[in-house]
Amino acid sequence: MKNKLPRLLQFKFKEPKNKFLFIIMMGTILIMFALLPEVFLSSTNLKSMASQFPEFGFLALAMMLAMITGGIDLSVVATANFTGVIAALILTKGPAAGMNPMLSIVLAIAATIVAALPVGLINGFLIAYIGVPPILATLGTQGLFLGIATVITKGLSVANFPKSFLYIGNGSIFGIPIVFILFIIGTIFVWLLLGKTEQGFNMYMLGTNPIVSRYSGVDNAKIIMQTYITTALLAAVSSIIMISRANSMRPGYGSSYLLQAILVVVLGGADPDGGFGNIPGLLMAIVMLQVTQSGFNILAFSPFVRKFIWGFALLLVMTINYIAQQYGNYKRVKKMRQSTASEAT
Amino acid sequence: MNLKRIFKRSETFVLLIIIAFSVFVTIKNPAFLTLDNLFDLLRSSSGTAILGIGIFLVLISGGVDVSSTTIAIVTQYVSITLMIRSGIDSMWFLFGLSAFIGIVLGAINAFFVSLLKVPTLIVTLGTSSLYHGIMLEFFGTRSVNIGSLPESVKSFGKINILTLTRADGSTYGLSIFFVILIALLIITYVILKYTVIGRSVYAIGGNLEAAKRAGFNTRKTHFFVYTYAGLLAGIMGVIHLSLIRYSNPNYIVGTELGVIAAVVLGGARISGGTGTLTGTMLGIILITILEKNLIMMGLSTYWQQLFIGVVLILGVSITYLQAKFQQSGKTIIATEEE
Repeated sequence: MKNKLPRLLQFKFKEPKNKFLFIIMMGTILIMFALLPEVFLSSTNLKSMASQFPEFGFLALAMMLAMITGGIDLSVVATANFTGVIAALILTKGPAAGMNPMLSIVLAIAATIVAALPVGLINGFLIAYIGVPPILATLGTQGLFLGIATVITKGLSVANFPKSFLYIGNGSIFGIPIVFILFIIGTIFVWLLLGKTEQGFNMYMLGTNPIVSRYSGVDNAKIIMQTYITTALLAAVSSIIMISRANSMRPGYGSSYLLQAILVVVLGGADPDGGFGNIPGLLMAIVMLQVTQSGFNILAFSPFVRKFIWGFALLLVMTINYIAQQYGNYKRVKKMRQSTASEAT
Repeated sequence: MNLKRIFKRSETFVLLIIIAFSVFVTIKNPAFLTLDNLFDLLRSSSGTAILGIGIFLVLISGGVDVSSTTIAIVTQYVSITLMIRSGIDSMWFLFGLSAFIGIVLGAINAFFVSLLKVPTLIVTLGTSSLYHGIMLEFFGTRSVNIGSLPESVKSFGKINILTLTRADGSTYGLSIFFVILIALLIITYVILKYTVIGRSVYAIGGNLEAAKRAGFNTRKTHFFVYTYAGLLAGIMGVIHLSLIRYSNPNYIVGTELGVIAAVVLGGARISGGTGTLTGTMLGIILITILEKNLIMMGLSTYWQQLFIGVVLILGVSITYLQAKFQQSGKTIIATEEE
C-alpha cells in the first residue's frame, strides 16, 4: 500500500500531527486554486501574499516560543505597537530636525530593539520571580505598553517616513520581497534556538514539566526571562515591518493579529499547556492562514465575517485537536487491552 | 479576627487606598464628597460592577473571561434591535430577551471550556470574536440612537428609588441600577457561600483534579459559572443601554481589561480559588473613582489604558507575592471569607 503512494506523501514527518496538517494545507491551497485559478496563482498575488504575512508571522513565532514554555504572550501586539511608535517618532522627527535619513533609520531600528528589552524583562520578571500566571502578567503588560504608545502619540498616527526606510517593507531582491527574506531569517533563528541550543531544549522541558526541569538542575527563572526577552525582540522586528509597510503607525494597529497568532500557533501543533510546538507545523499553519486570508480578500468578505471566521476557526481547531487526542488515547488503551489479553491466553 | 490579620488582607489595602484617594480628591474638589456625586457614581458604575461579579466568578473558578464585555454588547444590541422591530415596549421583555441571549452565549462558552482542556482565555478570545463578528454581520453596524429607543427604556434609566432636592430646586436620586446591583450581590453571595454549586466554584478553582476526585461535578460547575456570567453580562447590557440611552455595537468591547484589573485588585486570583465579593466591589470602586478623576490628577484621557495596565500589573503582583509568601510559610494571610 505504501509503495503505491506518490513519493511526496511518503516523506516522513517528525511530528505525527504534521502529516495531517500537510494534507489540510495542500487541501486549502487546492480549493483556492480550483475556485480562483487565474487570480490565485498570478505572480502579483503570490508576491503580495509573501509580503503580507511576515509582520504577523513574527508575532506567531513569538507566541509559539511562549507557548512551548507553557506560557502565553498576550502582549506581543502591544509590544509591537510600543516599539513601532518609538521607531516611527525617530523616523519622522529625526529627518525633520535635519538628521541624515540613513542615520535615523539605523537609530530607529536600534531603538525598537532597545525598547523591546524592558518589555521582555518586565514580562519575564512578573512570571519568573513574582509567580504571576503568564496570562495575567501579559494581559497587564498589554494594557501598559499599549497605554504608553497611546500616551506618546496622544492616540494619533505617526506617518511619512524616509523613502529608503519604506524599501524594507515594500522592496524586493530578485523578485522576492525583503520582508519575506527577513521572515525566513527569523524562522531559521528560532529553529536553531529550539532545536540546536540548550536554551531550546530547556524551554521544551520547562513547558512539559517545570518541576522535573527544576530538579534536573535547570534555572527555570532564567529560561523564562530569556524566552520573554526573545518574544519581545521578535515583536520588535514585526513592528519594523509593520511601520515600513504601512508608512504609518498608530497605537492599536494590528490588534486582530493577537487572535490570529494564537490560532496559527495552536493550529501548528503547539499545546497551550506547554512542551509542544515546532517550526514546520507553524509554517504550514501560517501558509494556510495566509492562503485563506487572500481568498477572503479576492472574494471581498467583510471584516465582520472574517472576525467571525477566525474565532470559529480557533474553536474548531482546538476541538479537532481534542478529539484527535481522545481518539489517540482510545487506540492506545485498546492496543494495551489486546496485548494484555493475548498475554493472558 | 485580630488586627494583624485584617491588615494582611488585600481588601484592607484597597479600602485604605480608596479612603486616601477620596480625601485627596475632596481637598482638591469639595464637590466629590457630596451625596449628589456619590449617587451619580453609583448610577454610572453599577453596570460595570455587575459585569465584575461575573468576571469574579470566572476568575475564582480558575479561568479568565475576556468575552463578557462582548456578550454584554451583543445582548444589548441584539435585544434592543429585536425589541424595536417587534414593537413590544416593555422593560421585562428587554431584560428577559437580553438575559436569555446572555445565558445562551455563556452556555456556548461553558461548552468549549468544559470540553477542551485549554486555557479559558483562549476559548473566550475565540468566542468573543465569533459573537461580535456574527452580530456585526447579521444585525448591522448602525447605532440605535435616542430617537428610536422605546419609551420604557428611556424612562427606566431615570427611575430613582430615593429622590432628593438640590439647593437650586432640581432633583437627584439613587438610581434603580444600584438596587439591581445590590440584589445580584446578595444572590451571588448566598449561592457562593451556602450552596454546593457555589462551594464547587471555589473547589474547581483551587484544584480542578482534586475537586473532580472529591466528587464535584466539574462540568456542571463550569456551566453554572459561565451561564451565570453570561446572564450578568446580559443584565449589564440593558443597564448600560438605559444609562446612556444609545446603543453602538462597538461600545463596551475593549473595557474588559479594566474590569479584570478591578477584580484582581480586589484579591481574586486564578490559581488559588480565592477571593471575595467585597474585594471585587472595592476593586471596582477604586478603579471607577481613579478613572473618573484622572483629569483632576492632571492626566489626560490618553492615560487611561496605561493606567489600567499599571493597576492590573500591581494588583496581580501583590496577590501573587502574597501567595508566594504564604506558601513559604513566612506569613499567614487570610484570603478566604471563611
